[in-house]
Amino acid sequence: MKFEQTIDLPGVSPERVWAFVMDVPSMAKCIPGSEGVEDLGNNRYKAVVKIKVGPIGLALASEISIVAKDEANRTASLLVEAADKRVGGAVKATMSMTLTPAGDGSKLEVSTDANVMGRIGDFGQPIIRKKADQTLQEVGENLRKALATTTSRP
Amino acid sequence: MRTFDYTAAASIDEALAALKEYGDEAEFIAGGTSLILLMQQGLVQPAKVIGLGNIKELRGIKRTADGGLEVGAMTTHRQLETSPEAFAYAAALPQSLGVIATIRIRNQATLGGNLVHADPAQDPPPVLIALDATVDVVKAGGGARAIPMEAFFTDFFETVLGDNELVRSVKIPPMPSGSRLAYKKFLPRTADDYATVSVAVRLGVDADGRCKDIRIGLGALAVTPLRAKAVESALLGQKLTEQSIKDAAALVRDVVDPLDDVRGSAGYKREMARVWTERTIASLAGVKAKA
Amino acid sequence: MHFRPVSVHQISFELNGKTVERSVGPEVLMADLLRDDIGLTGTKIGCSIGVCGACSILVDGTLMSGCLLPAIMVDGRSVTTIEGIAPSEDELSPLQDAFIRKGGFQCGICTSGQIIAATALLAQNAKPTREEIKEWMMGNLCRCTGYYKIIDSIEAAAGIERANV
Repeated sequence: MKFEQTIDLPGVSPERVWAFVMDVPSMAKCIPGSEGVEDLGNNRYKAVVKIKVGPIGLALASEISIVAKDEANRTASLLVEAADKRVGGAVKATMSMTLTPAGDGSKLEVSTDANVMGRIGDFGQPIIRKKADQTLQEVGENLRKALATTTSRP
Repeated sequence: MRTFDYTAAASIDEALAALKEYGDEAEFIAGGTSLILLMQQGLVQPAKVIGLGNIKELRGIKRTADGGLEVGAMTTHRQLETSPEAFAYAAALPQSLGVIATIRIRNQATLGGNLVHADPAQDPPPVLIALDATVDVVKAGGGARAIPMEAFFTDFFETVLGDNELVRSVKIPPMPSGSRLAYKKFLPRTADDYATVSVAVRLGVDADGRCKDIRIGLGALAVTPLRAKAVESALLGQKLTEQSIKDAAALVRDVVDPLDDVRGSAGYKREMARVWTERTIASLAGVKAKA
Repeated sequence: MHFRPVSVHQISFELNGKTVERSVGPEVLMADLLRDDIGLTGTKIGCSIGVCGACSILVDGTLMSGCLLPAIMVDGRSVTTIEGIAPSEDELSPLQDAFIRKGGFQCGICTSGQIIAATALLAQNAKPTREEIKEWMMGNLCRCTGYYKIIDSIEAAAGIERANV
């Protein structure tokens, strides 16, 4: 399943966005339902992401690794491996990010390639796709909010 | 399927008290068709299941004093399909229940369970939206609220129901004088019997051939059932002709947000929404559809 | 919740005319109770999702999917399975007889469900039209016969004579 997303961040410099996004624990807070982010060292992190689709509740125990990072060009690649043992399903996703200046702010382009396996995968690919899309939109919104609040000065 | 703790609640208050006690770990069971399937697949694993089958206040179909219809949440689809009261209210209402799945499912599944399950492709919601129905919801201690059907659903499998509430009944207001109901379920594939698109229309036409009442419910065209207000506004007060219906139906393309899935691509469904909205309105207006 | 209490229920129901009592967990489904516990394997499990109709049973005369019905829901009710359709050891019901005469089955896996469903139909509508038969029976899938002979069998059982197409 592939997703393409462009997050516009007017008035926020690429330096600030980059610093925020590369700080995985801060970035993780933008993911709705995420809890307990742990830094495992070596660019690896652990978190639990809770998602609900109606009566179906998933607790995705996730491992996030930064597999590639180019500071100069502000591109990065993340690998997310998550599983819900109770329901019996897993997600494996690669996320590639490119941050570029745009007007007085920045533009973050995220390209996600996700595989949903096991029971969650059987559930209904179109629903998963829609839900994932909704979640990524929310992440974009939360990112915008998080960056905007720190720029606003009295 | 994992085992669980089951009790049959004797009253609404008992059911809600049990739900409160167990929170996230509890589920209600109405007919059981959806819940059992979800549990068999391991997608839902409640520690506690609370049966609603013994609660008398949730049963029954009756005509109300004002000429409307009230249907208890635990009414099975088959009971509504064969109900003389429902037939007297509007023949197309019981008929629309009759196109759900198979007779076995209809004998077991309930209207309340159907609404709470909130699959956007189900048949009753668009029909009830067209009929301007409200969902009567109660919470522990007896507080109640009436939620318009078109506002009841919020997402796939999600409704506005709070975690201390349950659906008591569906209330359908009296049919406006001269109005009729039609429901068209477009099913080019029978792989799973859910509609590719479905359209329900309540239409009333005055002596001059002008639309005096119109409500349109749409199924399988978004993450929730929809109401096609744009199409309604385009026709209310207008003369119903082949062209006016065709033009109004075309507006439905901007109302819907269908998914690509095994029942059809988003583009196909969008176009079929237009075709079937046009055909359904035309059939009630006694006009030939161009689509 | 780490501790998961489970409930056990005493159920008593009439099965093909005889009272049956059992102690069951709430997760036990009728199709499994009938086949594995009681030993009546005439009711088949085809899809286990309520679609194919091979598990059709009657509960108080109402057609239900055995694979979706928790056994606790039949407490105090009467259940009829294919084993209870024949009027006696030496006779077949008109439907059973018609299915043989008219070739309404081949492999037989759907047949119990077909006969149960058709029994419910004829109890409700003694002289159904062909359309009515198709409507009612649409939930009973068959991979072998192509359905025509199933419909013919039901018509024959209903005493409806038709010229062969």
